[in-house]
Amino acid sequence: MKWFNILRDRLRALRQRETVINDIDREMRLHLEMQVDANIKSGMSPAEAREKAMRSFGNLNRAVDAAYDVKGGGIFETLAQDIRYGVRMLVKHKAFTSIAVITLALGIGANTAIFSVVNELLLRPLPYRDADRVVTVWEVTPEGRHQNTTSRTNFRAWREQNSSFQYIAAFTDQRLNLTGTGEPEELSVQLATPEIFKILGVEPLLGRTFLADDDKADSPAVAVLSYGLWQRRFGGQTSVIGQQITLNDVTFTVIGVMPPNFQFHIKQRSGTGRPAELWSILPMPVGGAANQRGRFLGAVARLKDGVSVEQATADLRTIHARLSDEAPQFNKNYTAEVIPLREQFFGNVRRPLWLMLGAVGFVLLIACANVANLLLSLASSREKEIAVRAALGARRTRIVRQLLTESLLLALLGSVLGLGFAWLGIKALIAISPRDLVSLQTVGLNFTVLAWTLGVSLLTGIVFGMAPALHISRLNLNDSLKDGGKSESGQASGSRRLRSALVVSEIALAVVLLASAGLLIRSFLRLQQVDRGFNTDNVLTMVIRLPAARYREDPQVVNFFSQALERVRQLPTVRSAGMINFLPLYGGLGSNTAFKILGQPEPPPGQAPSTDVRVVDAGYFPTMGIPLLRGRTFTGNELREAKHVLLINDALARQHFPNQDPIGQRLDVMMFEKPTPAEIIGVVGNVRYDSLVDEAPPAVYFPHPDLAYEFMTLVVRTDGDPTAIAPAVQREIRSLDPNQPVSDVRTMNQVMSEWVARSRFNTLLLGLFAGLATLLSAVGIFGVMNYSVALRTRELGLRLAVGAQPRQVLMLVLKQGLVLTIAGVVLGLAAAFALTRLLSGLLFGVAAVDVTTFASISLLLVIVSLFACYLPARRAMRIDPLRALRYE
Amino acid sequence: MAKNKADLLQGTLDMLILKALSLGELHGYGIIQRIRQLSDEMLNVEQGSLYPALYRIEQKGWVSARWDVHETGREAKFYKLTRAGRKQLETEEASWDRLCLAIAKVRQATT
Repeated sequence: MKWFNILRDRLRALRQRETVINDIDREMRLHLEMQVDANIKSGMSPAEAREKAMRSFGNLNRAVDAAYDVKGGGIFETLAQDIRYGVRMLVKHKAFTSIAVITLALGIGANTAIFSVVNELLLRPLPYRDADRVVTVWEVTPEGRHQNTTSRTNFRAWREQNSSFQYIAAFTDQRLNLTGTGEPEELSVQLATPEIFKILGVEPLLGRTFLADDDKADSPAVAVLSYGLWQRRFGGQTSVIGQQITLNDVTFTVIGVMPPNFQFHIKQRSGTGRPAELWSILPMPVGGAANQRGRFLGAVARLKDGVSVEQATADLRTIHARLSDEAPQFNKNYTAEVIPLREQFFGNVRRPLWLMLGAVGFVLLIACANVANLLLSLASSREKEIAVRAALGARRTRIVRQLLTESLLLALLGSVLGLGFAWLGIKALIAISPRDLVSLQTVGLNFTVLAWTLGVSLLTGIVFGMAPALHISRLNLNDSLKDGGKSESGQASGSRRLRSALVVSEIALAVVLLASAGLLIRSFLRLQQVDRGFNTDNVLTMVIRLPAARYREDPQVVNFFSQALERVRQLPTVRSAGMINFLPLYGGLGSNTAFKILGQPEPPPGQAPSTDVRVVDAGYFPTMGIPLLRGRTFTGNELREAKHVLLINDALARQHFPNQDPIGQRLDVMMFEKPTPAEIIGVVGNVRYDSLVDEAPPAVYFPHPDLAYEFMTLVVRTDGDPTAIAPAVQREIRSLDPNQPVSDVRTMNQVMSEWVARSRFNTLLLGLFAGLATLLSAVGIFGVMNYSVALRTRELGLRLAVGAQPRQVLMLVLKQGLVLTIAGVVLGLAAAFALTRLLSGLLFGVAAVDVTTFASISLLLVIVSLFACYLPARRAMRIDPLRALRYE
Repeated sequence: MAKNKADLLQGTLDMLILKALSLGELHGYGIIQRIRQLSDEMLNVEQGSLYPALYRIEQKGWVSARWDVHETGREAKFYKLTRAGRKQLETEEASWDRLCLAIAKVRQATT
């Protein structure tokens, strides 16, 4: 009840301040009168009695104040006063207020924008039920490749033998052609075993999801639609449930529609590279070598209560050891791993994101230092005012509180404007973020983000307000009152030291950011210059996927593609055209396949060499500008010849035929149902297929007709802009088959730039923050030098009067600025040496401590800050000695 | 308890005020006079410290206050111990006694 009484009193005082004070005043005065009466009674004269009573009472006003502090004043009252006063102060110094608020808003805005992304990706619960109990399960290959897909046989063993999972489901993404209703369209489809929806724990918007019976061989084929597909193709009609649709010429029954935000897309291991628009049952036939050999399944599972990720991993490793014993030819040296869902989705962006948050933290610190500096300058000119308040009886804590209130007001204003910046910043982030990075569409200013911003702004208000407040509260009243805070008094030099320290730290922080950004920029440039093994200019690419049901026989597949290519080659401006199953840097699954070299001793199980396998036609190499190093290339007649042939890349030749001619050697690559040795007819240049960062691994190329795929990527080299030819190519394909969609129409340069998009994004963002940091610290050093020149007007004027050259004065000021800058740069470089190693995972072709980068950014900062010092220095040079000496 | 020990001076003044009021309703001036009488003129509470303490005690609900006419015909604000105040006084007196006893024991041991 105590606090309630206090609150009631205080609130009453806030509303009826006069009444409360009058009440206290009346009580005290009556008390005084009683004392006077008592004194008179004891024999004093009335005048004497009154004087004595007054003296014993002390300062009546002060007594009333002290009492009022209990009864009314307190925190509410002073706060209201402080705010009123603070607002008046900020309004009075408009220029100061606007600069401070904008500076803070930039810092807080950048922070809020990045935090909203961090919150969305790293902190907010994933949109699945008890998402922290959901894990993905993968194989690890003998070569140590992580998150590798598994086979049907192995998945079945996991499902039957594990003791860790409540449910486990297998899934794979495929592209299927939707025909029948409207335009033919290629959909990204996720095929999964029925438990997947139980594991993710998401209810459908309409109808139902899979039941256990849906995967029985004789059950009708069922499909669950995504919200987007439902809206786009089926007009959002509820009657869609039960409707029949045709996918790759097979009929499916729609059984449900998922809610709008539902998605389960594991980009790195998706065969389609796109989030699924439709879900259907993954057939799990038993038996057959293909079930053991074909590793194409991802697995997702829900942990049983009380089972940890580590326990589940151990469990699966035991199962894998058993699998390795049972079928060494497929599973020797393979093992398993269990990955929490958040790690799976965002593990690769976690580090860059925390780094970005750190970077904006630095920017905010610089902004704080700047505003602290501004406040210090302002405080110096307010010394007299503060001294007067202290002389009139304001206590030190009261003055500090007043100054802190002002800085909190500034911080709050800054955060309001900062939220505006953040809103724009988030829009910009979404616009420039790589399409495949992660879906940032749902990032926004939600409650958590607002709370964060409020917290950050309160913290910054205290951080930048503390130094000036403490400094000023230590003022020596007499000095301040005497000289009015205009000259370099003892305290002023103390505050100058503080200001210099702030500027030095600002520059140091800017150096760290610039060094990091510089390293990323250099990596990015290196990445652009890397020899990727092919020429990307003027090349158009597009994917054609034939429905397996319609072109079931291989010759038909052959015919379709070769006819299409024949027609494309006839088009104007087309210089050459070819095709490959998976483009370089396509992403998705790399096909790593074991092979044997005929005539060499058989390696022990699990240690067979492996190679990347690509299927191409002869036109592919000239179109992509890949050189033929030895031998010959394909003729296009391979299907009619009895013997199988293939091409190998330089890496495979060097690795496996170091001292001999590979031409004429025979390889058995395990791509076929039965052993099929093929003769090496040529060696072509290396191509970085999987990533620009890694050296090209061994690769073999099969001629297209020999190893027929139902989908191929056309590559077309043109004279001039390749996008101009796209409509004509699509027209040719539609004239071959009007029901045949074409997808992923992109130039090779676009494919490349999407691959480097993340690197570009990180570079751009960090570069932006570093630029902001540099700008803010330049403003900081400008402010300090400007103020210092103003303080030294008399001294500099005197120097000029006794014969100093203006140039000397200029140098004097520049030197002062340079000393600060160099101190900051040295400090910053020391910090950068320690901190840039955090970047190591993001760098390519450049060390975390790179002398060239560090030297150039240091030079850059020195130049920028010299420029910032030049303006005040020029002003110093132009001081009129006569006026300066009269200056007060 | 802990609070009384930590804040001995203020706690002491609170206890004195409560004690003074335990003998009957009083105004501020009367409280000071009564403490002086009871202490044989040894304790002289300053007006400047009386009122903040008094208001604080009032907020804690240990005393209640009302304006009334004084015997001299002047108005005055009168304070009266509440039941909670009486209990608080007992607690404080008990803890004060314990403290005195403890100090006395320490002093005996050292002399």
